[in-house]
Amino acid sequence: MANPAKESNTPPKKRWGFVMEPERCIDCEACMVACSVENQVPLGEHRNWISHKEMGIFPDLNITFMPENCHHCSNPPCERVCPTGATYRRDDGIVLVDYDKCIGCKYCMMACPYDARYVNEEKQAVDKCTFCVHRLDAGLPPACVETCVGGARHFGDLNDPYSEVSKLLATHDYYQLYEEAGTGPAIYYIRGK
Amino acid sequence: MTDTKNLPPAEDSTLNPSLSRRQFMGLGLGTAAGAALLGKYTLLQSADGQKTAGKRGHYPPTSFDREVYTMCEMCVWRCGVKAKVKDNVVYKLDGNPFHPHSRGMLCPRGQAGVATLYDPDRLKYPLIRKGARGEGKWVRASWEEALDYVASRMLEIKDTYGPEAMVFSTTHNLIQTQFENLLKAYGSPNYGTQRSLCFNAMITSNLLTYGMEEPGREYSQVKYIILTGRNLLDAISNSETQDLVAALSRGAKLVVLDQRFTKTAAKADMWLPVKPGTDLAFYLAMLNVIITEGRYNERFVEENTVGFEELKATVQQYTPEWAASKCEIPAETIRQIAREFAAEAPHVFAHPGWRTSNFTNSFQTSRAVAILNAIVGNWEQPGGFFAAAGEGGGLELGSVPQPPYPRVSALRLDGVPWKYPLVPLKLGVFQEIRDNILSGEPYQAHGWFIYRQNPVNSLPERRKTMEALSKLDFIVTTDISMNDTAWFSDVVLPEASYLERYDPLHVMGNTLFLRQPVVEPLFESKPGLWIFKELGTRLGLADFFQYEDEEDYIRQQIAPLDISLEELKTRGYYTAPTEAGSAGAGEQKFTFNTPSGKIELASEVLRNSGFNAVPQWEIPTLNQQDEFYLLSGKVAQHTQFATHNNRLLHERQPGNPLWINPEPAAQRKLKDGDMAWVESAGGKVKTPVHVTERIRPDSVFMVPGFGHTSKGLTTAYGAGVSDSDLHVTFTDPISGSQALSQTCVKIYKADES
Repeated sequence: MANPAKESNTPPKKRWGFVMEPERCIDCEACMVACSVENQVPLGEHRNWISHKEMGIFPDLNITFMPENCHHCSNPPCERVCPTGATYRRDDGIVLVDYDKCIGCKYCMMACPYDARYVNEEKQAVDKCTFCVHRLDAGLPPACVETCVGGARHFGDLNDPYSEVSKLLATHDYYQLYEEAGTGPAIYYIRGK
Repeated sequence: MTDTKNLPPAEDSTLNPSLSRRQFMGLGLGTAAGAALLGKYTLLQSADGQKTAGKRGHYPPTSFDREVYTMCEMCVWRCGVKAKVKDNVVYKLDGNPFHPHSRGMLCPRGQAGVATLYDPDRLKYPLIRKGARGEGKWVRASWEEALDYVASRMLEIKDTYGPEAMVFSTTHNLIQTQFENLLKAYGSPNYGTQRSLCFNAMITSNLLTYGMEEPGREYSQVKYIILTGRNLLDAISNSETQDLVAALSRGAKLVVLDQRFTKTAAKADMWLPVKPGTDLAFYLAMLNVIITEGRYNERFVEENTVGFEELKATVQQYTPEWAASKCEIPAETIRQIAREFAAEAPHVFAHPGWRTSNFTNSFQTSRAVAILNAIVGNWEQPGGFFAAAGEGGGLELGSVPQPPYPRVSALRLDGVPWKYPLVPLKLGVFQEIRDNILSGEPYQAHGWFIYRQNPVNSLPERRKTMEALSKLDFIVTTDISMNDTAWFSDVVLPEASYLERYDPLHVMGNTLFLRQPVVEPLFESKPGLWIFKELGTRLGLADFFQYEDEEDYIRQQIAPLDISLEELKTRGYYTAPTEAGSAGAGEQKFTFNTPSGKIELASEVLRNSGFNAVPQWEIPTLNQQDEFYLLSGKVAQHTQFATHNNRLLHERQPGNPLWINPEPAAQRKLKDGDMAWVESAGGKVKTPVHVTERIRPDSVFMVPGFGHTSKGLTTAYGAGVSDSDLHVTFTDPISGSQALSQTCVKIYKADES
């Protein structure tokens, strides 16, 4: 099978990204299981996750669920530290690992502020979320987006003003994670009520 | 008959004999599936046995040999599934976008279905017990040997003690009708299902109030929702969970009554950590406010209900102040909710609940909920209740011809109706069967046929269940893996998984859905339709199974319809044309299938049976000073007792530490992760604790379904503890429901014991 990473068919001006609605995330983890099956992630590892922010004392409590995966930064620290050029960024913003070039030094794992990477022992390489690039190139949304029961994960072209993600950002208050690190993440979170 | 010629001779075998590669091929298995089962890391591998997914530089496939539309069975919600197959390996399951229960999405359990199909612990061939029960020594048998043996034992019991000496039990599934066919043809009245451990209280109350099992809920225009122990965001029912999240996103208000700050409570506008067992007081006060302040729908009540005056007189005493002292929800909060609820009516509902087997007063709670919905007039209104598809009518299927069933004269061991007069015959009281196997009253049972069910883990008081099983002469279990009951059985029959078989069709209103094989059954596993026919034939009941094979069975079902099996297989569903304009415009006239033809606020059936005709306060058991209520509930990643050996789900939820509030935890010097003893009148277990603010100080919680005792479940064995070791059997006399949250427990640090 061809390596979709090497021959992107997508127009250069695309900028793929996520808009997450934590208020709609029910922490069911369907996204995690769907990703594991779709990408055949080894048991014990995962490419996406949901972090919890739990606050308060009984009975005044509050929990927020934050779906997350690789932020596919526009200025990716993982790419900068990679000594072999295995980690690279496509024109459409997707950050990928060339598994044949990876020597498993794990510098990228240290550099990533989101802790998005793991060692895939089967591939003998560092691995992470690819935005399901193989599905994108076939015209399908990422597996986690397709199955999201709460409808919390939205995916699309951030550069297309008519995309669902752009419309969400245009009409809601939002924030990003570790923006201050200058990473330029491609995941946006809609602020709650 | 199964082709047994190529099999190695029957041999002494352990559960999972390591077959040599030659033997493996000899079994006629697809190498792909075989390789998949042997995978160390990944679940799937390619047909040539080479790792494709794991190979450096390679990406998963996006084109497949076929996409098969079928139905999920990872829980009972019956979502549509699109299975993607390459080289005869199921790579991925997607939600079927055309199915109303999935709408293109699957929950974590549905997504994890491939790990159930390719579970290394799948049963491979029929097994006959060799050592003592529960010892785990088996002899491999051919289907012919196993079925001959099962039939001979069942006939022996029938000839010696009568057919009633054989108990049959199963859980909610599409082939239930054929399982019932087997037991009715055999002539036994003793049929156990999960129902009394699940929804008896809710269904019995709705039957007595509305004349239907479960009113549907309309979410697209709902403005105000009250959930009582219906934890829709943890206990996922895919489409309904999607609907709730969408309604909340749209701005609908949500009130949640739960002792735990569940994920549903986390999304609510108001969380009410009600005192365990007192939800009824809250609802009686809701009725009090809405009736005494004249906020009910007078016209609807007059036209469509009976017994309002009696209800009004009865709830006078249940003021919010009275309720606050019982349920610990402030009177002003109850008053506020009642007023808001009535103000937004009819676009409101208090959810009927589902697994309402919580307390012995849960039936009356469900009745009060049903009545609350009725008096605000939300029936058939946008955002209210409606008669759900499946409540009568709908598409008519063809049926397989068969003779009448033999007459049954023996009493039912579950006490219906001689002890439980109002429990619908169909629901039954499962825990009572177990107790009457033990007591030998009114007669002694001698055999038990268990199909896709695990009473060892699901029934309260596991100790009693084990004793009951020990008393029996013969136990046979059919499942896809060695569940805890199978482990203790005399014969174990391996069934094909839901991705490998046909089941009888599922009808929803005017549409039917098909479960069909995505791949061939692994090893020697066989579909239930085949097993029942082969066993029935050996029991001399061939006339009750007049179908050639599974496809013939489906063909007979769709015979009256304008569709062929081939077409049905392509799409996975069929919608019959409807006659337009059947619902008249203008004034709506409702009829309800109750004795009065109206919604029964006061029920003469209840009165005549010696129960309260309208709900009245019933005091649940109160815990002692140093005891906690042991609550039951669900998580999104597991279904009942059936998914804990699924490696993908185990990874997400590997255990069930006991939730305890920090205050009582500190009193017991328990820190998060410490080991504690949990002790009830039923038994005791040792478990790690999860210290959390998310639970009332008088309650503890443990996710059910863990604590498997079968060593044939290598992933689930030893993971967590089972609440069935702790639960005490309390049966509601009206609905027959087991009160699963009524058991009280003592907790102490493990090293102190």
